[in-house]
Amino acid sequence: MFKKILALFLTLGLLTAPLAGCRQTASLSPDKELLQADFSQIQKEARGQTVAIYMWGGDESVNRYMDEWVAPRVEKELGIKLKRVPINDAREMINKLLTEKEAGKTKGSIDIMWINGENFKLAKDNDLLWGPFVDKLPNYNRYIDGEDYQIKYDFGEDTEGLEAPWGKAQFVFIYDSNKIASPPDTVEALKAWIKDNPGRFTYPAPPDFTGSAFIRQILAGVSSNYDRYLTASLDRESLETEITPLWDYLNQIKPYLWQKGITYPENIAKLNELYAQGEVYMTMSYNPNYADNMIKQGRFPATTRTFVLKNGSLANTHYLAIPFNAPHKAGAMAVIDYLLSFEAQLAKFDPANWGDGLAISLAKLSPEEKEKLKQIKPGKAALSPEELEKYKLPELSGAYVDIIEEGWFNHVAKN
Amino acid sequence: MVSRLFKLLIPVFLTGMVLLNIIPLLLLIFLSLGSSWMWPHLFPGPISLSSWKYVINPAAGSLPALKTSLQIALTATLINLILAMPAAKSLAHYHFKGRKACELILLLPALIPPWAVITGIHKTFIYLNLTDTMSGVILAHLLPTLPYMVRALTISFASIDYSLEEQAYLLGGNKSQTFFYITLPQLLPGIAAGSILSVLISLSEYLTTLIIGGGQVLTLTLVMFPFVNGGNPSIGAAYSLLFALMALITLFSLDTFINRYYSENKLY
Repeated sequence: MFKKILALFLTLGLLTAPLAGCRQTASLSPDKELLQADFSQIQKEARGQTVAIYMWGGDESVNRYMDEWVAPRVEKELGIKLKRVPINDAREMINKLLTEKEAGKTKGSIDIMWINGENFKLAKDNDLLWGPFVDKLPNYNRYIDGEDYQIKYDFGEDTEGLEAPWGKAQFVFIYDSNKIASPPDTVEALKAWIKDNPGRFTYPAPPDFTGSAFIRQILAGVSSNYDRYLTASLDRESLETEITPLWDYLNQIKPYLWQKGITYPENIAKLNELYAQGEVYMTMSYNPNYADNMIKQGRFPATTRTFVLKNGSLANTHYLAIPFNAPHKAGAMAVIDYLLSFEAQLAKFDPANWGDGLAISLAKLSPEEKEKLKQIKPGKAALSPEELEKYKLPELSGAYVDIIEEGWFNHVAKN
Repeated sequence: MVSRLFKLLIPVFLTGMVLLNIIPLLLLIFLSLGSSWMWPHLFPGPISLSSWKYVINPAAGSLPALKTSLQIALTATLINLILAMPAAKSLAHYHFKGRKACELILLLPALIPPWAVITGIHKTFIYLNLTDTMSGVILAHLLPTLPYMVRALTISFASIDYSLEEQAYLLGGNKSQTFFYITLPQLLPGIAAGSILSVLISLSEYLTTLIIGGGQVLTLTLVMFPFVNGGNPSIGAAYSLLFALMALITLFSLDTFINRYYSENKLY
């Protein structure tokens, strides 16, 4: 008897599973219409939706900005429930979408994802993104300079309106002013300082994000024609030979690094720990407000300060995109539009919340908005926006990032 | 001489073991309090509660994540128990051709690395409409946990005194009475051991939860991983302690429940 019931259930289950699959596809036709619709109509459709935003979840200030500043306002003003899903690595989302695409799953679970660089390129090359949608957003049209190289190109890859800029980050060095009176200001001066202070400097080993950025930062300083690397035109071998000055530089400082360069910290958190303990005198970050945040948390000494190299300081833009199978595309568009509003950008810029760079263009702000922006002062450990702007350099092509990381293992780490 | 030396060594050995277990825990506690205890300082640095405040704050969603973790682990364990019971009994009791092969097949899921099969499972689950749901995650958790349950129960079944069962039959007990009053109580140590392993493995599962749950099923492990893995080590430590506490309380209640249930019902 029991066996018969079990068999019945199994059969029923197998029969209904594909049926449920069919039902999903039926509701997906109006996607194209959404790109033609009026924005007020989109907002109307978005009301009542629960929008899932997938983003790296390892930073308290970022999470707090989303959970405590954005979510309540989006719910009140747009009637949308925002659900933040913490992930460990943006690549996880791309892999999920790749499998879903292969299996033909037309109703996924990600509405918005936070990406840039190589993950955007992967998503774009595999048709994982929905759009182009950015020119549908009123706040994009009002505040964003879509022709700006740093916004139009994401690590050298044309965004083609498939992702909306959300904020900007810039590479900075962090030092203890108690131990270093005046920090080096060029790549060459940095090398001299490292040689004078053996064991007091190191960088995280790639593929750590910040360590990899440090290497590109040095490349920008030692190469005579950096603009050449903004678009991928060289193959692996020619690139590796051409950037020999970079390998030379890194090999020359190697014996003077922490642990004589025999080992490197495996990630930026380890380097920050070494800095907090006073074992090394410098650390680095792709967030210009990082030093300030860490002082506030009591994890870095209060005498911590920030500096950039005059050879140029790498900057990149991070973006929000909508996957091809996002279940709530109208809601996703409404939320992204809200995140590009002046109020949301201003709050994100405020070091008290997150301290992330503005995606909106200063030139497009009204006089009152400019006044409001001026009220927000950078923390005492951070550099002024003008100072940062002065040395800003775009990131090189995303296609080169992996090559340089692997090249580092062969030319530097193995030596 | 040797035995005296051995006796002397025992306390040293025990202290070492205790220290090995306690020191990392202490360091975690200090780390979660935002304090560092580094050479050459004799005492740990000043403490702050900010990491704990973040973890406890309702917007961070730790409580729902904790609940989801427990729901998945306990349901998976219950299903494991039901699935493993007949398999374990057959393995321990009957000697048939291919018994070793069956045992190996049942153990295989624990030996094969999960990332080798997860993409295939993901695809199949998409076809079956099981992704992004809690039932899908529970089903996926059976894979790494079931082998341990089978193993623990097999050992328990093997040590059972079957003459007691025969006696029960002779005294007129039917199948279910014999099972619940005679067999089950003897299996208790195995059930406890298997359940503990199954709960612990399910709680700490990251990859399967992430891929099958698709981020829609948020367990504590998923929430804490970005912090532990290079994010904010202090918040990571606070989450780790919360996780350890959750696991400890679950294991303790599981153990007490199983023991008390049977001693109260005087089934021995």
